Amino acid sequence: MIDRAQLREIDWVLVALTVLNSLVGLLLIYSVSAASGGGLAWKQLIWMAAALAVFFLTISIDYKMWMAFAPYIYILFLIFMAALLLFGRTVAGSRSWIGFASMGGQPSEIAKIVVVLVLARIFAEYRASYATTGMIALSFAAVGAPVGLILLQPDFGTAMCFMPILFGALILAGLTKKTVAVFLLGAVIAGVAGWAFFLKDYQKKRIEVMINPSQDPRGAGYHVLQSQIAIGSGGLTGKGFLKGTQSGLKFLPARHTDFVFAVLGEEFGFIGITIVLGFYFAMLARMFRSVGKSRDRAGIYVTFLAAAVISFQFLVNVLMIVGLLPITGIPIPLLSYGGSSLLATYFAIGLVVNVKMRRFANV
Amino acid sequence: MTDRGIYEDFSLVRRRARVVFLAVGILCASALVAYWKIQILDYKKFESMAVANRTRDIVLPAPRAILTDRTGAVVLADNRAAFKASFIRDNTRDEAGSIRRIAELLDLEPGIVTARVEKYKSWPRFRPIVVKDNLSFEEVARIEARKNDLPELIVETEPRRIYPHASLGSHILGYLQEADAEDLKTHPEYLRPGDMIGKMGIEGEYNGRIAGVDGKLVEIVDSLGRKQGELERVEPRPGPKLALTIDFELQVKAEELLAGREGVIVALDPASGEVLALASYPTFDPNKFINRFTPEEWLTLVQNPDNPLLNRALQGLYSPGSLFKPVMGLAALGTGVVGADTTFFCGGAVEIYGAIRHCWNEAGHGSLSLRDAIRYSCNIYFYQLGRRIPIDTIARYAGLMGLGRKTGVDIPGEKEGLVPSTEWKKTTRKEDWYPGETISVAIGQGPLQTTPLQIAAMTARLSNRGKGIRPHLLTGESGALSGEPDSGIPGWAFEQVVEGMWRSVNEAGTGAPARVEGFQVCGKTGSTQTISRETAERIADGTKVKKTHSWFTGFAPRTNPRIVVTVLVEYGGGGGATAAPIAGQLFALYKQKHDRPRTTPGN
Repeated sequence: MIDRAQLREIDWVLVALTVLNSLVGLLLIYSVSAASGGGLAWKQLIWMAAALAVFFLTISIDYKMWMAFAPYIYILFLIFMAALLLFGRTVAGSRSWIGFASMGGQPSEIAKIVVVLVLARIFAEYRASYATTGMIALSFAAVGAPVGLILLQPDFGTAMCFMPILFGALILAGLTKKTVAVFLLGAVIAGVAGWAFFLKDYQKKRIEVMINPSQDPRGAGYHVLQSQIAIGSGGLTGKGFLKGTQSGLKFLPARHTDFVFAVLGEEFGFIGITIVLGFYFAMLARMFRSVGKSRDRAGIYVTFLAAAVISFQFLVNVLMIVGLLPITGIPIPLLSYGGSSLLATYFAIGLVVNVKMRRFANV
Repeated sequence: MTDRGIYEDFSLVRRRARVVFLAVGILCASALVAYWKIQILDYKKFESMAVANRTRDIVLPAPRAILTDRTGAVVLADNRAAFKASFIRDNTRDEAGSIRRIAELLDLEPGIVTARVEKYKSWPRFRPIVVKDNLSFEEVARIEARKNDLPELIVETEPRRIYPHASLGSHILGYLQEADAEDLKTHPEYLRPGDMIGKMGIEGEYNGRIAGVDGKLVEIVDSLGRKQGELERVEPRPGPKLALTIDFELQVKAEELLAGREGVIVALDPASGEVLALASYPTFDPNKFINRFTPEEWLTLVQNPDNPLLNRALQGLYSPGSLFKPVMGLAALGTGVVGADTTFFCGGAVEIYGAIRHCWNEAGHGSLSLRDAIRYSCNIYFYQLGRRIPIDTIARYAGLMGLGRKTGVDIPGEKEGLVPSTEWKKTTRKEDWYPGETISVAIGQGPLQTTPLQIAAMTARLSNRGKGIRPHLLTGESGALSGEPDSGIPGWAFEQVVEGMWRSVNEAGTGAPARVEGFQVCGKTGSTQTISRETAERIADGTKVKKTHSWFTGFAPRTNPRIVVTVLVEYGGGGGATAAPIAGQLFALYKQKHDRPRTTPGN
């Protein structure tokens, strides 16, 4: 499956950046869980080992093979997620966690990468400059099925993460001005209809609070305000590792997942933020650069969509915790605690490395 | 398979990918700007919010000053540690649920807790609201056990006031009550909601001194308000120990003598103005007030028709009756209406202004001088004076003796009393004064009103031959009266009156039961009608109302007086029968105490 020439072509810089960011995440998770013995950090370390295994498994199988199997995996996942809806246990008001072993797993995280593969396969042979209505409809259907199931769980944040995959693929395939106009109109209509009929009150509240966080400091505005206090009070140099008062005293909610970047801001200050933002951006840039190194259209789509989904989650989270976007449960890949997210991210980066290392190969 | 990549042109797709990457780059840069804004530009603001987030100020209440008797040996008011349960609204998101759980845990009616919370709902949410005090150890343990799932309920310790002698001296000491809205407004500098404040008596008058200075504890708390450590601690400073002027033995004796009656005893040192004993009956146990939450007992006290909360010594207004006769004597001698040896004839009754006036002794006293008129408390003699001295002159002499105005005693609530004059009648009743009314005033009746403490202060002035004092209850306070004009009453006039008072006690006068062998007691009795004679005759069965109030006031010894005793027993009957013997026992106790060989020399 993998030969020595390809081994030499592995993008070790990207691998190093990925591991580096994972270690930053580990450090932050340790900081928030230190008071309770650091158990979460140990769990995350085990997940990291598993994720590295997934990574090598991913690169050892040609991405074309992955794409060939993608539709079957996709259908299996749909069945699996539907079954979960019926029998799954509820964690934090959402049914996506599987109860096998003591470590929970969230199949929708992996489903994202499966959808990346499916979309890449759809567009692999598509050569026109702009996407046709049929292709657009097919893409919507491919993404819509898992998203629908996830929304039923309901997990708004995870469902949101499929957006960059769908629109990333369509942007790459090419959207005419007319199509963009139709999308914008559709978005406005969907937005109004969603606000009026579908969004729950707490979700509306979160959007209102983003506009004015102090309107309800104890309610929905609590998280934004606490997060801003944590980050802001970090100042230039931060309070020091393990010295964050807002996270240490549990003023910050979901410190190990959604608000891990706020812990970074509090303990390491603006300097820490700048450095980690730099690391992360370097990793994203390396992935985007790989787009140009792909030998075929499928590879371009895989690489680009993987980079897009990770960028999206990173940016949404980083902007949400300073109050520029409404609070939604979107973790930062690699930095936030979470096993399935880690596995999915290593799977995605594995695919990027996979495409690049096989750019000279004739299959 | 052919490799299409070699022949295909991907430049369009790659250009689109680069545009998206550019957008990612711009967003990363703007994120950095956003972090720069809140971490560098707004640092100060968020830093202070972080500090406020994680600290909680707790007040360490200062124990109130210990109050003792004049020797400093007998403690009259002390403190002991007590626990109270407080609710911090800030630590819960479900207030109604919390109230329910708290009520259940502490066996309270949920309505009581809700009422407490409602009462303080305008206060900041982090301030603890006391929901139950005087917790038992079992209750403290129950709250501590639920600390983690009920972080909104905390146990606070506070020093609790205790009066070891229960009701003894309660009218002097006063009592404590939870500060009301008014108190909080007047003393925002040291009062917080839920604080106890002194009401009445020494506790009320000197509350600022007694309360001490509260300490402060700054705690580090987590987001649920659970304590994680201490940042700063300032120990409370208790108020300095205060010694009252009270002579414990005299006070105990006075209360014993009054027990079961309604009345007042005041004993004071005429030289210094120090109050040696002050008893007002019925009385109350101030320990009962320290509980914030049993309004029933409070209501029984307030609604009691005998009004135990009233300090009769300075708030009860009584006709002085015959106790006014010495003042009349001074007015007569001072204005020259009579001389020391001028006599009037008492035949038991006399017609004045067309009305028959009786002496209490219907057989009559014969001819008597002022000295004997005071000795026998002859009404006719004083009617004759009333005929000759205008009311405004009487009022002036009454004023010179301190009547009609506050004595200036250092506990709150004192009444002024009333000395009538023509002007008073004109302004309040819109009528002219009738000379007939002067006749009633001459024997201490009519609109004349005094407090027992005024009578005691007046007696001290008589014993000092004119020099007034200010009665007070805290040692170190001044007993001098400032800005008193010279009365102009000659010394010999005082000697005549004192001679009469001496004879009253020592030469078979009305005050004879107050006599103490070897102590030269001088005194005057009084029996005042509580209702008009006609009314009394109409009420056939009125056992209580038919009786007169029984008065005695006096001092001893005759020269260099050391103690003044004033006794009033409501519905006690004749002054000589009830009040005088009580006073006699107090004079006797005082003499015995001071004649007693001292056990510790130089003490």
